[in-house]
Amino acid sequence: MIQTRHWRLFATGLILGCGFLAKAAAGYIDPGTGSYVFQIAIAFLVGLAFSVKVFWKKISAFVRKTFSGKKGDGADAT
Amino acid sequence: MPPEDVLPSSFRDPAGFVFRRGGVLYRRLRNSVKPHYDTLMASGLYAELVAAGLLVPHEEVPATGDECGDVYKVIRPEEIPFVSYPYEWSFSELQDAALATLEIEKRALRSGMSLVDAGAYNIQFRKGRPVLIDTLSLRQTVAGEPWTAYGQYCRHFLAPLALMSLKDVRLGQLLRVHLDGIPLDLASSLLPFRSRRRLSLLLHIHLHARSQKRFEGRKVRVARGKVGRQALLGLVDSLESATKKLRWRASGTEWADYYEDTNYTPEAFEGKRRAVEEFVRDVRPRTVWDLGGNIGTFSRIAAAAGAYTVSFDIDPACVEMNYLQARRDREENVLPLLLDLTNPSPGAGWDNRERMTLFERGPADAVLALALLHHLAIGNNVPLDKAARFFARAGHSLLIEFVPKSDSQVKRLLVTREDIFGGYTQEEFERTFGEIFTIRRRVPLDGTGRTLYFMERKRGEA
Repeated sequence: MIQTRHWRLFATGLILGCGFLAKAAAGYIDPGTGSYVFQIAIAFLVGLAFSVKVFWKKISAFVRKTFSGKKGDGADAT
Repeated sequence: MPPEDVLPSSFRDPAGFVFRRGGVLYRRLRNSVKPHYDTLMASGLYAELVAAGLLVPHEEVPATGDECGDVYKVIRPEEIPFVSYPYEWSFSELQDAALATLEIEKRALRSGMSLVDAGAYNIQFRKGRPVLIDTLSLRQTVAGEPWTAYGQYCRHFLAPLALMSLKDVRLGQLLRVHLDGIPLDLASSLLPFRSRRRLSLLLHIHLHARSQKRFEGRKVRVARGKVGRQALLGLVDSLESATKKLRWRASGTEWADYYEDTNYTPEAFEGKRRAVEEFVRDVRPRTVWDLGGNIGTFSRIAAAAGAYTVSFDIDPACVEMNYLQARRDREENVLPLLLDLTNPSPGAGWDNRERMTLFERGPADAVLALALLHHLAIGNNVPLDKAARFFARAGHSLLIEFVPKSDSQVKRLLVTREDIFGGYTQEEFERTFGEIFTIRRRVPLDGTGRTLYFMERKRGEA
């Protein structure tokens, strides 16, 4: 239930966001306007999610590398 | 250039069109495409995509006198053995085509390029894998510009895949009606409510559809230069994750379990396999159409003999299983496709010629019609002479199985209907088909009452 309400809030925000962006813009429009405007509206969100994902992958790769390196050192030591 | 040389499917692209001369396929590039084409070739992206099997290779050829005027270059792309369309693909074929499109876009973005067109018709199957055939759809990016093909990707790939996965796999056939992809408002209204709980589908289909509706026909002003490269990579990543999460499991249909419910003895089945092997050895076809190919058991015999084999079936589950096997075993010359033989793919698009009919893509050198005729003749009331004409249009040589009325599978077809098929006898079959084909050989399948016929189309009977 909470989840559904959360999505509705998010959706309303996005649609309103599309509207604001359109008003602030300068240019002309074609039939793909809705897609164009929507993409601009979600660009920050998907870009941020991607950056977090890439950053997280780098962190986990670093941790894996560090651990596997230590294991290797241990094996050499014994 | 004579207009008849230009392929009817390529007139929309102002950058260059595809034409055929002397049986060879070429593409003429106009001067306007020069900066994009040069970047594609010089940046290493072309070589990278070709090496990864994502882009059809081409070679540059000298322009002849006919190409005078606005011509930058003429290229000769490698020809695809059989052009297929998204409404003929199984779920995984469409999904793989979608993921190939996104992979190309990802690699293109890293080279400062982008796909201006992400339509499913730009993808074809080459050596068993999806490949981009529209080299000119890769263009230099303009800093800050959104991905112009975003809406098209959602209509051509994400919406049909979501509908097939979450509602009904048969909804993929909406692509046959909506050639520019399934309108997102339609997809949104057809998808179950639970699809809204997936953030990716909520964004790329439901909210995207609402945004399209909101700005439909409205004269508004748009911001430019607002989408950075990281955001574009994020968009592609989000679409990729949405596409990968969609699943459809093929099983349990009448046809997918067909080989578990036949009346063949192991000996008869082996006899049928041997007959198919002998047929392809005799005919030596370069192309085979296996009509009603089920999961491709007999298609693979033709493919193993070196023929490029298109394995058609009406059942989405069979086509899916067939494709998954081909993909797993890295088979390069089997192409499973969805096709209702009683309503084969029509000519579609502008002037009914942008997308070819089934027969325009033939004929094949050889046709397999195994355990098929009784479904056409009795299951669908197709008279024998019309069936014979159909097979004659489909290919030069024919291996066809006659299943008599005494067979349990035919009896099953007649359980709930009146037997109005007095003409469906072996004698009448031989007489009717004998008018169009020369019957070369008869191979009875022991213990089944069924007979395989090796036939060859008579001259002038196409």
